[in-house]
Amino acid sequence: MESKRVETVSARVDAAAAVSSTDSVEDELELSAVRHRPEGLEQLEAQTRFSRKELQILYRGFKNECPSGVVNEDTFKDIYAQFFPQGDASTYAHFLFNAFDTDHNGSVSFEDFVMGLSILLRGTVQEKLIWAFNLYDINKDGYITKEEMLDIMKAIYDMMGKCTYPVLKEETPRQHVEVFFQKMDKNKDGVVTIDEFIDCCQNDENIMRSMHLFENVL
Amino acid sequence: MAAGVAAWLPFARAAAIGWMPVASTPMPIPPQDKRKAQDGLIILNVSGTKFQTWRTTLERYPDTLLGSTERDFFFHEETNEYFFDRDPDIFRHILNFYRTGKLHYPRQECISAYDEELAFFGIIPEIIGDCCYEEYKDRRRENAERLQDDEEMDMSNDVTPVNLTFREYLWRAFENPHTSTLALVFYYVTGFFIAISVMANVVETVPCGTLPNRSKEVSCGDRYALAFFCLDTACVMIFTVEYLLRLIAAPSRCKFMKSVMSVIDVVAIMPYYIGLVMTDNDQVSGAFVTLRVFRVFRIFKFSRHSAGLRILGYTLKSCASELGFLLFSLTMAIIIFATVMFYAEKGSSATKFTSIPAAFWYTIVTMTTLGYGDMVPKTIVGKVFGSICSLSGVLVIALPVPVIVSNFSRIYHQSQRAEKRRAQRKTRLARIRAAKIRGTNAYMRYKQNGLLIDSLEEASKEAGQALVVKAATPPFESQHHHLLHCLEKTTNHEFVDEQTFQANCMEVSVVNKAGSRSSSLSSSPHGLGSCCSRRHKKKSSFSPPSTNNQELSTIQIRERPVSNSRASLNAKLDETVPLKCDESYITPSMVSLSAPVVTSADEDASTTTAYSQSNIVRVSAL
Repeated sequence: MESKRVETVSARVDAAAAVSSTDSVEDELELSAVRHRPEGLEQLEAQTRFSRKELQILYRGFKNECPSGVVNEDTFKDIYAQFFPQGDASTYAHFLFNAFDTDHNGSVSFEDFVMGLSILLRGTVQEKLIWAFNLYDINKDGYITKEEMLDIMKAIYDMMGKCTYPVLKEETPRQHVEVFFQKMDKNKDGVVTIDEFIDCCQNDENIMRSMHLFENVL
Repeated sequence: MAAGVAAWLPFARAAAIGWMPVASTPMPIPPQDKRKAQDGLIILNVSGTKFQTWRTTLERYPDTLLGSTERDFFFHEETNEYFFDRDPDIFRHILNFYRTGKLHYPRQECISAYDEELAFFGIIPEIIGDCCYEEYKDRRRENAERLQDDEEMDMSNDVTPVNLTFREYLWRAFENPHTSTLALVFYYVTGFFIAISVMANVVETVPCGTLPNRSKEVSCGDRYALAFFCLDTACVMIFTVEYLLRLIAAPSRCKFMKSVMSVIDVVAIMPYYIGLVMTDNDQVSGAFVTLRVFRVFRIFKFSRHSAGLRILGYTLKSCASELGFLLFSLTMAIIIFATVMFYAEKGSSATKFTSIPAAFWYTIVTMTTLGYGDMVPKTIVGKVFGSICSLSGVLVIALPVPVIVSNFSRIYHQSQRAEKRRAQRKTRLARIRAAKIRGTNAYMRYKQNGLLIDSLEEASKEAGQALVVKAATPPFESQHHHLLHCLEKTTNHEFVDEQTFQANCMEVSVVNKAGSRSSSLSSSPHGLGSCCSRRHKKKSSFSPPSTNNQELSTIQIRERPVSNSRASLNAKLDETVPLKCDESYITPSMVSLSAPVVTSADEDASTTTAYSQSNIVRVSAL
């Protein structure tokens, strides 16, 4: 049912896009005039683990920043960059955007937003780990390669900026990736599958503990 | 960080889960959210207009009034809302600031009202959004200028300080001719002589008929050489004296010598002296003739007398860049067209365009659309380019002119506004003064009524009747008056209104002139005299700082006999006197003494002095 609803949502947006695909100038006007309305409160309540009040608060904040009802990647990067002023958060925001944009239509609607948050804040550890794996798996093929991991790692280190202690060196992300792969890649085949990932994380106390860190955020 | 983005903080924190698997070190403990504040609606009642918002909206800015616990001071229990007795229209913008993170400035609001509201709610004006910031800053600057103008007026016009040195007095007389009649006379005399001098220079050159033994006409200057020389000498004398006086009086001589007006002054009088010094040498006489041209600069001395001329000069100075651009573009165009015309006309015979510099003259005359006609192109190519030249001339000259005109208009209107403000200031001060007098009169009435009521109370108590009090003054006023009364009792002085005080001063100075024989009287009225001369601006007597300053602090308490032959000036106090016969009466004037005694002009001075001699008790004031 979820996928069907997602399809209808994306179909709606797609239809709007198709209608306006004739003229390029009018295109932009039409798209910006498209106002995305989220599903009803009851449905969202059923699909996520948030209470009514929490959904209300979330939507108010969302709508304040994105009056049109959807976040496109640039806005997303802007918002995220405001939390990390010293460094460059755009690359990581790009990966995050892709992780939230589950139907890959180029924009994050309130439903996507709330779904993602529901998993991160109210989900089981298993769900959270799966979400993290999805984040690292850039091309969504089910395997994390060293290059993908390196990209993610570089994006994370970029957010730190230049002024760090100790000074960030070129090979720091690479070394970090090596450490990660040594820990995660059990059969040493150069990629990390989802089972390896989940297994390894569940055996690591630190990671387990940190999964519960942000539960009381809302 | 914008407040709107704060709403996304939960999202950013949740997304941090993505770092956990790759983290190399354990994470820190998250902060405990101690007060799980319910996100409730807050009602803000601003003078009856109800605004509602979420509590969290207000708490985005915890260092303002609404965002901190300071708002609890305004909580109204009965209605369960926060009540502010402020302007609801401006509050709308302040609340929008909390909502959107941007503070806007509404154009139709008064800048000081807006500033006050911002200050009340603890919001610094620097966070006004870019869209409204310029407007806000402009209005603020205008307001500050207005206040500064007022202050300058206050400082320069109101108080004529007694202790001006001669030098300062002279400088003030020169800068503001309206301060004293002498300065005004001097101002007009110099203006007159400037006009005379300029006219003489002009008339000098007019042909004045022929001398009997010569055939050709001579100019007036040569015919009446001596007369003109005397006139010139007189004018230069006056100008020199004026310049030297200004130089002596100037507070900063170097700055004065570098100022434009003094340079003009020097240039105006130098030719004369140089002419005196130089002999009738033929070689230098040519240079001497050139020097006479500089005499025309005397006309610029009129700019001290005319504000419009000063504005014009200031405009030209401020439009220097536009004028420079005009000059530059004209020069470029002149060179281009002169070259073209020269080469175009090179072929034609007997042409006037002998060289490019010669063609400059044609180009200038054509571009400024003068068209004298002394140089005209003859070839077709020349005519074509000549017409292009005249068309472009119009454009090039017309472009910078509106900028200069608008600059002039702006500066002119500014000076007009300053003039208007100065004129309005007089009425404004008059209004303030009237209000003050009303206040003082109200206070006097209060005192009378109070004492009257006291006596009536006593009388009615004796008679055994209840006292009917008339409609009383509002409680605020009566409390204020009681406060003033307390002050009077504290300092042992009384308030009087201005007329009474000045009248007292006049009477005292009259008595002073009449020759007070009493030694005890001599010092104090003299002290009064000096204080009065401060008040009376008409008096130009700058009395030296009297040693009576000490005396001024002493007051004289004297027994007041019930005497009804007082002057009508103290009529008001007379009514109160019979009620307090046995109390020692404190002199009513603020600056001590003998006022009640000497106000009776009809009384004999001698008896007055005798009386005061016997009854004076000197008490040091607090």
